[in-house]
Amino acid sequence: MRAEELKGHLDSLLLAALEDGPRHGYAVIEALRQATGGRLDLPTGTIYPALHRLEQGGLIAGSWQVVGGRRRRMYRLTPAGTRALSGKRAAWRDFAAMMTAALEARPCAEPA
Amino acid sequence: MRGTGLITGYLAELEARLPATIVEELADGLEEAFARYRESGLDDDSATRAAIAEFGDPQLVAASFAAACPGRRLARRLLLTGPAVGLCWGALLITSRAWTWPVPDAARAAVGTVLLAAIAMLVHAALGHSYRAVTRAAAAGCASLTLLDVTMIIVVLGLSLRPGWLVAVAMTTSGLRIVHNVQGLPRLRAG
Repeated sequence: MRAEELKGHLDSLLLAALEDGPRHGYAVIEALRQATGGRLDLPTGTIYPALHRLEQGGLIAGSWQVVGGRRRRMYRLTPAGTRALSGKRAAWRDFAAMMTAALEARPCAEPA
Repeated sequence: MRGTGLITGYLAELEARLPATIVEELADGLEEAFARYRESGLDDDSATRAAIAEFGDPQLVAASFAAACPGRRLARRLLLTGPAVGLCWGALLITSRAWTWPVPDAARAAVGTVLLAAIAMLVHAALGHSYRAVTRAAAAGCASLTLLDVTMIIVVLGLSLRPGWLVAVAMTTSGLRIVHNVQGLPRLRAG
């Protein structure tokens, strides 16, 4: 999948990166890069605003913790975020199944 | 790492454009990126450069935050709902022949001026590229609209207009917008 197409699914990818438990911003972005095989070419600093947008929308919740003497912002999925991720995942499965069926179907050979 | 000139300069560029809490979060991420590059075998200087390159141009980072900031969302919501509120009031003002109301011309002009200024500020907040300018414009536009809503409700109550569904609808839409704005204004970080 091209980087441009991946960017259109950034919210889903960020929510999925938080599914296993709370992470700090950089860890979310690292998980995202690993999950996409490094094909998401957005500068790291421009992915943080997407986390803030999801927080404003109530899909993730941020809180400050002190780690190693410096403050760190941790994010976790909210119940609304978990529901949104399930919805996005189901929609993606439907879309993928439909596209696979449509693109891999072979026209039947006409009877002789 | 923060002692190095490169990082200090990078964070200073962000500090000039973004609220302190956002810069603090980015600084923590930069520390983390630097540590990863050091672990991968780079020396201090190369790891610093790699971390900065990974985070991206500070202007681009600041513009991305401006595009996602709470002020922008608030301004867009007010611009989207504004015409509906305006339509309700317009219908009420025309049907109740507002030009015959005992209101001084200066007050009418002031209401018009504040309304136009509020719209201009909200448009600026919805389209601007600077986090601080977007936040300030959204706060000022939001406060101005609230002032207008309160003024219009007081004027209508003071004139004791004959009750009707148009009065009820206009007052309710303004009332809802006042509640929305009073809740939304504190969420705007001044930065």
